[in-house]
Amino acid sequence: MRPLIALALALAVPALAGAPAPAQGTGPLQPIDVKPALADLGKRMFYDTRLSGDTTLACASCHQPDKAWTDGEPLSTAYSGAGHFRNTPTLANVGYRGAWMHDGRLGTNLNDVAREMITETYLMNMDMRIMQERLKQDPVYLEMFKKAGYGEPSNGSVRKAIPEYLKTLTSRDAPYDGGKMSASAKNGFEIFKGKGGCAQCHTGPLFSDGTPHNTGVPENFDAFLDPQRHQAFLAYALFMGVENLYNLKRDPGAHVRTHKADGSDMGKFMTPSLRELTSTAPYMHNGMLANLGDVVEFYNQGGGPDSHKSPMIKPLSLSAQEKADLVAFLEALSGAPLTGPEFVWQEAYPDEYPVIENWRQARN
Amino acid sequence: MKARNTFRSSALAAAIAFSLAAAGNAQAAGKTPPPLAPLGDPPVPADNKQSDAKVELGKLLFFDPRIGGDASISCSSCHDPEQGWAWAEDFSRGYPGTVHWRNSQTIINSAYLGKLFWAGSAASLEKQARSAARGGVAGNGESDLMETRMALIPEYRKRFREVFGDEYPLIGNAWRAIAAFERTLVQKDTPIDRYLQGDKAALTDQQKQGMELFNGKANCIACHNGALATDQKYHNIGVPYARRWEEDGLAQITFRFEQYAKGSTEAMYREIKDDAGFYYRTKNKWDKGKFRTPSLRYVMYTAPYMHNGAFYTLEEVIDFYDKGGVDAEDRTTDFPDNKSALIKPLGLSDDEKAALMAFLEAFSGDEITIEKPELPDYAPLFTEQELKEAKK
Repeated sequence: MRPLIALALALAVPALAGAPAPAQGTGPLQPIDVKPALADLGKRMFYDTRLSGDTTLACASCHQPDKAWTDGEPLSTAYSGAGHFRNTPTLANVGYRGAWMHDGRLGTNLNDVAREMITETYLMNMDMRIMQERLKQDPVYLEMFKKAGYGEPSNGSVRKAIPEYLKTLTSRDAPYDGGKMSASAKNGFEIFKGKGGCAQCHTGPLFSDGTPHNTGVPENFDAFLDPQRHQAFLAYALFMGVENLYNLKRDPGAHVRTHKADGSDMGKFMTPSLRELTSTAPYMHNGMLANLGDVVEFYNQGGGPDSHKSPMIKPLSLSAQEKADLVAFLEALSGAPLTGPEFVWQEAYPDEYPVIENWRQARN
Repeated sequence: MKARNTFRSSALAAAIAFSLAAAGNAQAAGKTPPPLAPLGDPPVPADNKQSDAKVELGKLLFFDPRIGGDASISCSSCHDPEQGWAWAEDFSRGYPGTVHWRNSQTIINSAYLGKLFWAGSAASLEKQARSAARGGVAGNGESDLMETRMALIPEYRKRFREVFGDEYPLIGNAWRAIAAFERTLVQKDTPIDRYLQGDKAALTDQQKQGMELFNGKANCIACHNGALATDQKYHNIGVPYARRWEEDGLAQITFRFEQYAKGSTEAMYREIKDDAGFYYRTKNKWDKGKFRTPSLRYVMYTAPYMHNGAFYTLEEVIDFYDKGGVDAEDRTTDFPDNKSALIKPLGLSDDEKAALMAFLEAFSGDEITIEKPELPDYAPLFTEQELKEAKK
């Protein structure tokens, strides 16, 4: 049964891209079928700082449940000694996506995303071989891995468990899904599909076409003026093979995937989902827009200046009422917060690693 | 006169050793070890010449925690000048959130060693610096980020340009500079150096007695020979496993990680409870428990001793050898089959042990201290104006 559902999802997700926005009231996203014991294991790891190199950060340090798995900062905090150069994206509905990161450079699965986040030097900087042995030192994990159907903690099973938990983070109870939108939001939906042109990119149940576009979002200069952020940006650009990186004064975005010689692919970022927006300010890949009113106004003015801006981005001439309606619609795409014990690990972690007694006789 | 006698007896022993070797018994007889000798200048690799500017740069980098994972740990964190350019606990302190599994070795006179680390896994100081800065239980740094950090420190940009011609600092050149700095951390004016250069007053009578024992009855010279007092070869002398692995969960984590990271069979990973040392490089079972003979120079400042810091005093070390590679609790290596035939009970009297101890002191001169440099600051590469003017 489960493999069939997984297969159906695998087929369904790519098909979402390019689909028009559904009519309101078509109901919420269908929950993804998960293995409960494996998801529970992933949940414990998601909030565990021992998954980072110097044990200062958990996944949840930047992806905080009460902010729909963002951190409320324009630019993410990142690992000790470094800083980040982009905004923390929400993890709500992350299991429905087909590509991840603001530049979309991870296009395989959440298994790879989990590995990338844990091992990336300016994120969690974890040697996963050490992580594996840390997990083996905690009797609670030994029990949970067994319960989840794995013999003992391993890197591979960590990379299955965390995605399994992430697949439980499905939005629910949004007014849009339940057909409970206000009159203003309903007007906004019409503008969204029509005059606003939003649905050109914000399509499908996630309101995202899953592809990158250049909308002319201004650079966040902090990414360059703060040496701790800039060093992480440069390390990223170096690793991704970006030319002339020490003179680069903009975030190349999806250029790191396509490397066009004329730079026409510079500054393209993945269309974000519009679900749970009320908890995820500030907005855009670099947090440059503080609230939804600013976002609507940004598009109303035809985006920002950029020679490679998408031709879809044009001035909209929206009235004040139309803008307010559009914001009301965007707000109607946010549902009940996913903050209960179902989603948030409740128990404390041990202060230190318990000793394996009788170590000389115990099998490693 | 005495030196000549030593030379003659060495030559005689060598001749005997040669004939035994011809008889197919070279291993048992051993070769006559090279005698202790005064220390000369350290070798300098042809592709990394010394210069004052390079050494100064290396000194800054050696103390700079930004050359590491979370910018909190530098070379000097585990090789602390105040702790003998090492770390005064059994295991090195390790990266935050971890502990190492071996004893931190002194930087002093590391310039002379052909291979670095306890199992000789780094072939040069340059490679050692790189491995230590990147290792998960050491610096846990990543080359790209360490390199781009340096690019945001104007003083480093200037100095790398002057020393290496780098437009922006290259991490490989950081290892070269650090190695160049380490090549200045040598000590060759110890009592033993002065004595061997002809100053007979440089050693006390007791130390001279200790030297006789060192070269004779105690046979330390079998491995601790030559100018560096090490043959730079790998021996299993019977050091027991570290107690800390029985008592410290963090140490147990690292122990298993190292089995995994250094390469062992699954069966070995499941069963092993000791550090197999040189085995991880050769994968020969007869190399389990072998470690490179450490130099005895600067030894007064580098406690605790042995690859796992098993002994906190040199007296314990001498007792260990006197008992034939067995500690005070009668513990020895987990790999007794590989224990060197050179390690046998010595039957030393208390006076003889005291004499040996006194002689060991002659390998150390004054403590080498250093004023820690003030580290240069980060600064943005661009001004806000330049960012505003950038054309998109």
